[in-house]
Order: sequence, then C-alpha cells, then structure tokens
Amino acid sequence: MKPIFRTIAIAILAGTAALPSFAQTGKTPTLPALDDDALEQWGGEEGVRNWVESLFYYIMLDNRINHIFREFGNIERQIFLNTQLEQLVLGGAVEYQGASMAAAHADLGITVTQFNAVVEAAYNACERINVTYEACNQLIAALAPYERVIVTR
Amino acid sequence: MKEAKKNGLRLFKSATLVAAIFASNITQAEMFNTGKVLATGGVSMIDGAGGGGITPWATITGYATRDGINGNLHYTYAPLANYTLHSIGAAVGFWDRFELSYTKSSLTTGSTFDTLGLVFDTVGGLTDETAGIPVSTGIEPFNTTIEMDIVGAKVRVFGEAIYDSDNLIPQVAIGGFYKNNKNDELLTTLKAAKTKDWEAYIAATKIFFPINTLVNITARYSAANQTGLTGFGGPDGDDKEIRPEISLAYLLRKDTVIGVEWAKHGDNVNGQSVDVADIDLTGLQPTLGTLGLGNLAGTLTQNESDWFDAFVAYFPNKNLSMTFAYAMLGDITITPDQHGFYLSLQASF
Repeated sequence: MKPIFRTIAIAILAGTAALPSFAQTGKTPTLPALDDDALEQWGGEEGVRNWVESLFYYIMLDNRINHIFREFGNIERQIFLNTQLEQLVLGGAVEYQGASMAAAHADLGITVTQFNAVVEAAYNACERINVTYEACNQLIAALAPYERVIVTR
Repeated sequence: MKEAKKNGLRLFKSATLVAAIFASNITQAEMFNTGKVLATGGVSMIDGAGGGGITPWATITGYATRDGINGNLHYTYAPLANYTLHSIGAAVGFWDRFELSYTKSSLTTGSTFDTLGLVFDTVGGLTDETAGIPVSTGIEPFNTTIEMDIVGAKVRVFGEAIYDSDNLIPQVAIGGFYKNNKNDELLTTLKAAKTKDWEAYIAATKIFFPINTLVNITARYSAANQTGLTGFGGPDGDDKEIRPEISLAYLLRKDTVIGVEWAKHGDNVNGQSVDVADIDLTGLQPTLGTLGLGNLAGTLTQNESDWFDAFVAYFPNKNLSMTFAYAMLGDITITPDQHGFYLSLQASF
C-alpha cells in the first residue's frame, strides 16, 4: 500500500474507532476541520445560548418531537447543558456537566426521523437568531456524529 | 345465555376486525415517511434516479428515512439548439435503502435531420436503383422523435452521506438502468449497435458541512451514446466501458443549492457518418456534389462530447423542487454546440 493511502486508511479507521469516546471532551474533529473562529461566528456564549433557547422553542412547537423533550423533563436544565455542549463542540473552553449523549439517549428509542426533526428545528433556530447559514453548518457538522449514538431505533 | 354468548362472540369478532383495520391504518401511516431534512433527498436526474441533473448519486430518492417509504414524480425539459428533451417519470424510495424509478424520455430532434430527410427523399430514387431495396432510415422529412423508456434501481450499500462529519467514508450505492430506445430505424441509421441495453453504476456521495459542500463521484459502466438516446455501441461493437461522472454542489441555504456536473461520454460513433441501408454516406458525398449539395458532406459526420452543466436547485418545501441549469452537451449526432437551458421539477408526495 502506498504511504498516502495507508495514512488515509489509518485516519479513517482511527476516526471510526474513536467514535463515541471523543464525545463531550472538546471541539468535534470534523473532516474538513471546523473554522478556528467557529464559536466567534456564533457570538460566543450568549449567541449559543440564544440559539439553544430558540431551538427548544421550535422543538416544543413540533408535535413530532416535543413529547420526547417534555417527558425528559426540566427544559431549563436541558437548555443550560446544551449551551455548554454546543460551545464545547465548537471549540469553546468550557466544561460540560451533563451526561454523555449516548447515556442521555440510550433508553429513549429515538428514530432517525425524530433526529432529523431536531435538525430542522436547529436550522429554524439559526434563522431566528440571524446566525449565517455557513456558521450554522459549523454547529451542524460538530453535532452530526452524535446521530450514531442518539438514534437507537 | 346462549344468545349472550353469541353476542359476546360477535362483539369480540367485530372488535378484532376494528382493531385489525386500526392496526393496518397505523401501519400505513408509519410506512409513509417524509423524515429527511429538506433537500437531502436530492433531485431527479434525467434517467429518473435520485441525484443531480445528469448523474445518479448514492442518496436514495424521496424524503423517507429508514423508517418508511416516499416517492416523487419528475418532469425535465431541456430545449437545446437542435433538440428538445422531455423526460417524465416516477420514483419511489424504500427505507432510505432501495430505490425504483421509471422514466419516459422523448427527444424531439427539431430540424436536425430535416436536411438529411430531404436529401434521402431527393436521392431516394437513386439509392433504390443502386441498392434495389426500399430504404427505411427512421428519419421523417420533418419532426423525427426519439423515445426511450428507462427503468432504474439503486441500493444503498454502506455509509452515511450527511451525519458522519468526523470521517471521510462516503455513502455508497450501486444501481442500474435498463433502457429501451423505440426508434430502431433511426438508431441503425446512426450506426448504433443496439437499441436496448443496461447500464450499471456505483456512486459515492458525501456532504462536508464545515465547507457547505456536497461531493459526488459516480462510475458508470455503459455503452450508451448520449445516455442511450442515440443508441448503444457502434460499428466496433457494443462493449461497455467505465465512465466517470462528478457532481460538486455548494449549499447556499437550507433550501438552495448551486453546483456543476461533468459526465464522461463515449466515442462509439465518433467520426462516423450516418448509414442508409448499409450504404456509407461518405461514398454518397460525390453524388451530393453532383446534385449541388456538396456543402452537406461535413454535416454527415457524427460526434459525441462529454456533458457539463451548471445548476441551481431550489427546494421551497418537501413537496416541490425546481432545478434550473445550463447544459453544455457539445456534439450530438451530426450537430455541434448543443447548449441550452434545463428545467427539472420534482413533486414529492
């Protein structure tokens, strides 16, 4: 095998093997990488919190998914923890105090249809707080790998 | 007591029936699914498969996730310099895994073959005398039309085009088309070896959200001339070859995508003239000269070019998409510079 192909193969394997373990420890290692100033594009912590609040606004209006979040309980706490998580995956130096995405969703039986509904709410929330589509996709890319652990059905 | 028992049984029976109907309704409701994120079902390419404009992608058509089924109708209109393509069909995506499509293409050739048609009419008596047989070219003096039916199937093999942003593994699908071109006589005139043939392809698709870009690479195993609209193979046989196709798309907004495409085409009939009752018309050119039609000689040579297009696709909602493109298809049979606009509509249900 040529060295370049070996490098690519190792990178792919390493990326796949490292899956859930990278979770909640820092900026998501996307390929290609997120912008260095991804969090700044979002207006820092305040911008991220505005987005999370808008996200939950759209989620709670969506009859396909609002019951899941309502049953999970304590929306305020979910907004608080999500604000931490989203900053973290965008490269912010913050601590995430919640459970891993895998643990938090393990028993919920989330379908990919429901996951996609949250993605649609995410785009609506970006538009609501006037984050650019490009900046929005930085966060979409940073959260996308969680699909593998959140969707269990 | 007996009566009561009977009533009870009847009640139980009807309750079971209601439950069964109810259950089947639930099943139907659950089967139908539009759970994909807007635009991620792609549009309908001219052969009817889910993809871009001219290239099939690894995405499964429609808005169904792995939880259900979803379908769409599509219509494509491409008025080129000498031809107009109408393509209409339907496709269904099953569980984001499997796709079936049927498309009917109609290529009106406008004035392309009018000159030839008139030439054949003019020299027809002469040819008949020489060959001693009636000549059928499939060319009407005016308004020759080529029709082709296309059945397609695609199965997603592995990979996740959208959410695996932390690795480079694309979504990969394999698929095929069976194409049945109806204008046998014209295809013989154009020296195609076959009028019906299959094609197979493997497609790899990946969205890179950090740079708002979708990349698709397809390898198609085909002997088609102009996707089969002018037949398959040529004088040297009907062997298939692998032809690459690439689509690059930039995600402008959640409902708008712009991009470019390239599809490698074959050269089965490049440099060939048209053929009338096995008489090579290159040999007829002196005759044309004596008839004062010598300037027609160059127009009898066929060529084929790779296809390019630049497109913008707009998805106002999950029930409708509109694709506007500028298609640069180059030489088609005996006419060069076949460029023009392309409109494709897809209605999902």
